[in-house]
Amino acid sequence: MSELFNEWLGNKSKIVLFDGGMGTEIIKRGISLGKLPDLLNIEEPDVISEIHGEYYNAGSDMVQTNTFGASMLNLQNHKLESRIEEINKKALGNIKRACPSGKLIVGDIGPSGVFKPPIGKATIEQWQSSFKKQAIILEDGVNLWHVETISDIEEMIAAIRAIKEVSTKPIISSMTYKHTKRGFFTVMGDPIEKCVEIQETEGASVIGANCTLGSEEMIDLAKELINHANKPVSIKPNAGKPRLEHGTKTVYDQLAEDFARDIKKMIDLGVKIVGGCCGTSPETIKAIKKLIQ
Amino acid sequence: MSNENLYQEISESIINLDKDKALELANSAIREGMDLLEVIEKGFGDGIRHIGNLWDEGEIFLPELMLGGTILQEALSIILPHLKEQSQSISMGKVVIATIEGDIHSIGKTIVGTMLSANGFDVRDLGADVPVHKIIEEAEEFKADLIGISALLTTTMIGQKKLIDRLKEKGIRSNFKIILGGAPVSAGWAEECGADGYAGNAIDAVKLVKKILDK
Repeated sequence: MSELFNEWLGNKSKIVLFDGGMGTEIIKRGISLGKLPDLLNIEEPDVISEIHGEYYNAGSDMVQTNTFGASMLNLQNHKLESRIEEINKKALGNIKRACPSGKLIVGDIGPSGVFKPPIGKATIEQWQSSFKKQAIILEDGVNLWHVETISDIEEMIAAIRAIKEVSTKPIISSMTYKHTKRGFFTVMGDPIEKCVEIQETEGASVIGANCTLGSEEMIDLAKELINHANKPVSIKPNAGKPRLEHGTKTVYDQLAEDFARDIKKMIDLGVKIVGGCCGTSPETIKAIKKLIQ
Repeated sequence: MSNENLYQEISESIINLDKDKALELANSAIREGMDLLEVIEKGFGDGIRHIGNLWDEGEIFLPELMLGGTILQEALSIILPHLKEQSQSISMGKVVIATIEGDIHSIGKTIVGTMLSANGFDVRDLGADVPVHKIIEEAEEFKADLIGISALLTTTMIGQKKLIDRLKEKGIRSNFKIILGGAPVSAGWAEECGADGYAGNAIDAVKLVKKILDK
């Protein structure tokens, strides 16, 4: 099935529709995210499967597993390392039940939650070994990979190398950038052009950006990614900036139609894969689908 | 060297992330018997606020921001024991201070704790990323008069309200005065949470605590 993804990449007129956020969908169903949403693969498998299904039904060509936080190091942060196999396997089961034929399953890998010095004590070897443990389990059921929301290019290198140790499937490599007066940088200070160059050298199939920025701010970022990258580009912005309601609830106010209009602008610039991150929903994906049809 | 020049030199040592210089200046301020409260606020505090502005403007990034914070904390750890000698020996009251669960920002909270200590309060600093139940346990055990809770993220400031709600549920809200702080926190938010007050910086925090505890 990885061939299908490569076929999509090779087809000039095909825009690949990815999925949207998971957290807000879980909260909508009255379930608390708790410490780690990945644990819901075990505690609320039907809810997770239903959310995946809604994204496929809304028009997503591919949807990612609920395994953003299920790498070894991040599970250790939550004292859940002994459950790494159970969490990732259940996640595969939940998405397989929802995935219709002709559509794809993406193995999602998020940041480890630990930093290198001077902020933390992580080393590139620790990162790589942690991501590898997760990738070995997911390799069994995914068609391609999405490493996302990474803010340190060295951590991205570790993730790509870890995946390549156990898999030959395509990798979408998404960094998260901050918009500064001097341009787009990761919070660690890596400039966008340096990140793109390293991602391509390491063998990522698609160069991406996700989270932190809303759809409007992401348009300028998309321009830069397209300028610097030789590979196809993927974009998953947030639904604008969150706001606290009654001091207890995080709310994203942006309308799905406005988000979709920004996405359309990015597609016109040459972005190949589009979807959403925090605050986006199956409604957002439907709105994008409507505009790109 | 005039005091103002020394303050500026201290501030610059923080901005330049020059740890050796910052620690040397901390020691020399102690040797020269300077007013250490002013050294903290006008020297080190000024430097770390500059670092914060440089971060906001995208001139520096997380590694530099964290390094600045680490140097500041080392300098404060040199100054703090001497500051206690300078301050009143009778306790003005007991304060438990913490950054709320899920939030690792500790610099602002540490400065407030240091300033309160320097002003004669008995301060128990619980650090950052502290769960609500832990803060309550410590406050009860310490017989605190006041709890100060910092939150630097819009996503973690919910925890400040959670703490107050939890105290109400347990029927012990009136045992403690509560103040809130942190970049996204406002007087309006403090009121919405049912806190006793809010302060935007360390000096205001000291004034607020004195006022609330009637000192």
